[in-house]
Amino acid sequence: MASATVTPGRTVRKIRPIPQARNNFERGMWLFMRYSGLALVFLTLSHFWMQHVLIGTHQIQVTDTMTRWGVQGQTINLDNILWRIYYAVILILAVVHGINGVRQVTYDYFAQKPALYKGMMTAIVAVAALISIGGMLALVFGAAGDSLGTAALR
Amino acid sequence: MLNPLILSFREGVLYRAKGNILWLLHRVSGLGIVLFLGFHIFGMSMSAFNPPLHEQMLELYKTPLFAIGELALAACLIFHAVNGTRIAILELRPKLWEKQEVATRWSLIIVAILLLPTLAIMAYKSITHFIGG
Repeated sequence: MASATVTPGRTVRKIRPIPQARNNFERGMWLFMRYSGLALVFLTLSHFWMQHVLIGTHQIQVTDTMTRWGVQGQTINLDNILWRIYYAVILILAVVHGINGVRQVTYDYFAQKPALYKGMMTAIVAVAALISIGGMLALVFGAAGDSLGTAALR
Repeated sequence: MLNPLILSFREGVLYRAKGNILWLLHRVSGLGIVLFLGFHIFGMSMSAFNPPLHEQMLELYKTPLFAIGELALAACLIFHAVNGTRIAILELRPKLWEKQEVATRWSLIIVAILLLPTLAIMAYKSITHFIGG
């Protein structure tokens, strides 16, 4: 307690300033979890309420993805660009936030087996990187135009 | 003797769960979200690489099993968001630690306020979809 009364005759321990964190990676990730989390509250909840609740999962068709993201080889409008930026920001923040969370959980339960812990994390990060790169490429290039939905778009 | 790994897992869950159910729920909901996140990003990215598979994934979300899973996802997402906000604000502003109990109570109230209408709308839409209303 900051306001603890000092008893006469007792040794008083001086409060020293908090030392600089030695592990800057952990410090950075700790801060990242807080700030990205606060941003993701708005980003993911707005996305979830838009797509999964208001529009509703049952209403979403392939053509909806195409109209929102734009189709490869066709001109894209401002809406498409804004949607892609929105999803790209969610993707990056959510994946890094999620992977760091998984890392903490994995560390809690497997830290005493370093080989297993490292192996698990390597596998998890590899799968996450593969999926995320795929997602980012889709957001950079847009949906594929094919017989499924291009006709409905025009 | 238990395997040390299982022991540490069991003790970790049991110890922390005592008086710290929110910690456990935050962890479990986070793992649930990250599992769906990977699946979801994969499914959406297929719109660029494999449109028929993308369509199959969208259709998969419309099955009864996923409709129920989506309710669980909503619960995980809203709880994790509100509880995470509480954690972030309290840890970034240590002066507020005196109000931890108030913060916990209010975060649970906010979870209920946000979650119940969300679940109701989703369940209504799913039920009318499956019954064909």
